[in-house]
Amino acid sequence: MSEKTMNSSRRAFFLRGGAALGTGVVATVGASAAPAEKRTPLEEQLSDLRRELQEAQDRTAIRQLHLDFAALIEQQDYERAAQLFAERGDLDLSGERAQGRSAIQQLFERKYRDQTASVIHSAYRQNASHQSNDVLQITAGQARATFHVDAQLSTPLQEDCTAAKMARLQGQVADRRWQAGRLEGQYVKRGGEWKIASLKYLAA
Amino acid sequence: MSARNYRPLQMHRIAYSDLTEAQVSQALRAAASGPTSKSPLSSALAGKRLKIVTDDGGPTLEYNFRSARELELSEKGGKAAKCGYGALQDRNLVLVSHMIPGTQRGYTLVVDQQSGLATVFEVYFSGYAAQEKAAAAAAKRAPQFKNGQRNREVQRKIWFGYVEGSGAVPTARHTYTNRLEGKGIYWEQDNDIEILEFYLTILYSNFIELTRFGGEMTIAAPSDYIMVNDHQFIYSRIECEFTGTCTLQIIDLFDLTQKGVRLGLTEKDELEYYLYSGKGELTGQIATFEVFGNNSLTREGPRRVYRPIETFDVMTDEQVEDQVLNHAVTFGDGMHTGAASMGGYKGELITRFVGKQLTVRMDNGPAIEYDFADAKHLKWRYAGDSQWREARYEMYEPDDELYFFAHLLDAEFPRSCALVAVDMKNGLATLVKGTTGTPFRNNETHPTYYFGVFHTEGGPTPPTYIRHGWTDEMVGKAVTWNYQPGNPGLTSMHFYAAPHTYSWIIFQPDGSGGLQWSSPGWYSKVRDGVYIMSWVEEACNGTLGVILFNERLMHDAGFGFHVGPSGLSLSAIGARARHAGTFDIKKYLGVKT
Repeated sequence: MSEKTMNSSRRAFFLRGGAALGTGVVATVGASAAPAEKRTPLEEQLSDLRRELQEAQDRTAIRQLHLDFAALIEQQDYERAAQLFAERGDLDLSGERAQGRSAIQQLFERKYRDQTASVIHSAYRQNASHQSNDVLQITAGQARATFHVDAQLSTPLQEDCTAAKMARLQGQVADRRWQAGRLEGQYVKRGGEWKIASLKYLAA
Repeated sequence: MSARNYRPLQMHRIAYSDLTEAQVSQALRAAASGPTSKSPLSSALAGKRLKIVTDDGGPTLEYNFRSARELELSEKGGKAAKCGYGALQDRNLVLVSHMIPGTQRGYTLVVDQQSGLATVFEVYFSGYAAQEKAAAAAAKRAPQFKNGQRNREVQRKIWFGYVEGSGAVPTARHTYTNRLEGKGIYWEQDNDIEILEFYLTILYSNFIELTRFGGEMTIAAPSDYIMVNDHQFIYSRIECEFTGTCTLQIIDLFDLTQKGVRLGLTEKDELEYYLYSGKGELTGQIATFEVFGNNSLTREGPRRVYRPIETFDVMTDEQVEDQVLNHAVTFGDGMHTGAASMGGYKGELITRFVGKQLTVRMDNGPAIEYDFADAKHLKWRYAGDSQWREARYEMYEPDDELYFFAHLLDAEFPRSCALVAVDMKNGLATLVKGTTGTPFRNNETHPTYYFGVFHTEGGPTPPTYIRHGWTDEMVGKAVTWNYQPGNPGLTSMHFYAAPHTYSWIIFQPDGSGGLQWSSPGWYSKVRDGVYIMSWVEEACNGTLGVILFNERLMHDAGFGFHVGPSGLSLSAIGARARHAGTFDIKKYLGVKT
């Protein structure tokens, strides 16, 4: 017998690591138009605080969007991953491209779930050595970010023999390896919610 | 010898009844009084009350064991039901099994009287179809069945928990484990059944019931492995794709004993519900391939079951005839290298016989003349024929001066291929003729073996009496096969389980053994440590695989012959092997003396 323990998954580790992501993030905000009327120092201070709070909330929301995407890809919850994209969002993961949310969903369903893609991204983890180079820029309802990651690239088994069929049933692949790279993202805020406008993976 | 009366068919050839729920209920009526047992039942719990609490939303079971045969059960505080039961004891563990009268469900418990821990198997019938549809919808895949309901198949939910007592609630639990993985045990049960069990994966097991047809075939079944402590384990299997019967037992490795229960409906749709005890002999322990520290304590999601019989594409005569005559492809027909799939490590093509002629002459079989035009094309004819036929071929050298080549025979229905081993050192040849069709399915294949000699200019003088021949030297061995480069590439493990059968295992991503299946197999010896092994994936996808395995090289050369909805194919196999271990089982197998 053994003590009942909580299994700590790599995803949990990733998410915990994600909390530290902000340390390396540079956030810049476009100068908002200064109000014409004269404001008291207290009002100025309040306005600054509100703006800083909004910036912080936006940064957190975008980081969470990135983490959600990574987690959903690892969980193979592709339907929800596609919902993270804007209606006209773009996706390019190691050459598997789609334009528009419904096309992204189709790509995930047909090429990822059915394992017909030449290469599948099956997990991400933070690239610790390049984390300090992560960038997040927010400007008036839009944002750009670079997240340095290691992507787990899986090459599906394409064969039709019995062994391959059984292996696929178990999530087995022909090849699985980690590659250092970065996710280049563009984000838009729609109805108070951040969505991915574009996401492209680039190998280092 | 067991007195059980089996149908005269191998298990994978029986068309099991798709029983209605009403038929299952009718068959289960006798289960209300509890399981039978040849060995005396345990009265360890008679007169006791137990409240079993389980984790994760599982049942709370309040038992009043009125005697050694009757109990009252209240589930989650509900009205008590009277049930017949039976119990057996292994040291501190008590195995209890009962059904709930008027229902198709019941419980098998393993209660640890020492630690207060309990594992509950909630077992039930008529649950498969709905569960599989739901699981398939959740995973966005097709259900693994096409027809019927499979009401006869026992389903189980496993709950870990404890017996509520006066002290603190224990924090420990029995757990899933890989600690039995790789082990094999011979069991002799109190009901005269003798069985070889092999726990080769953490999801499956295979067994050979020696008291059924002399142990010709091994059968694979999805299984559960639970660790009580370092020497006591709970093992269960459900014979999915067959009768659907559940076998559940405590295995005690200290004295190699078992206490178990078997619950299900036989191939004759009769209730089989009994407790058994058994004494075992360890047959071996092979390697496992998880990283150290991976003890498989957790299992996520629904159990995976491989259902090849249900998902097999059965074709008509006309469909098969069309495929073998009009859609036959040999070694990719030059369109690709054929190195994909199971041929990722195939050797160089051999050109030794290019421009030469060769005649193989089989004892009690065909004599075939060959004229090798180039490295990929030959002409062949049966000796005595005037007409040469052209065919594409590939030839490999799996051992020094030992050649193995293959080609399709005449374009007729059924269609055959010739797989020929030519042993230049010994003047011997073996021909395995693969042919489409079996009495059971048109798109299966079957092999016919011929042993004989060959003649070629400059070749050895053929012997008169010596031949390649059948062997049991491979029996008991387990060998991994890596068919492609990559991490992990296409990889499996063969277990050569008996002289007429084998089983294969597909690894999970963490290296543990996963899904498993089995088929008939044939073994012949060519030289010391060099064998021809063949198999047919009967009731699976019908493929004939024939490999010439060199144990010194831990490499093979071989061929696959397959017919299906996308055509007939003859392709190359070439893989790298690792020895995983050997079970000492020959003494249990073969012809009785």
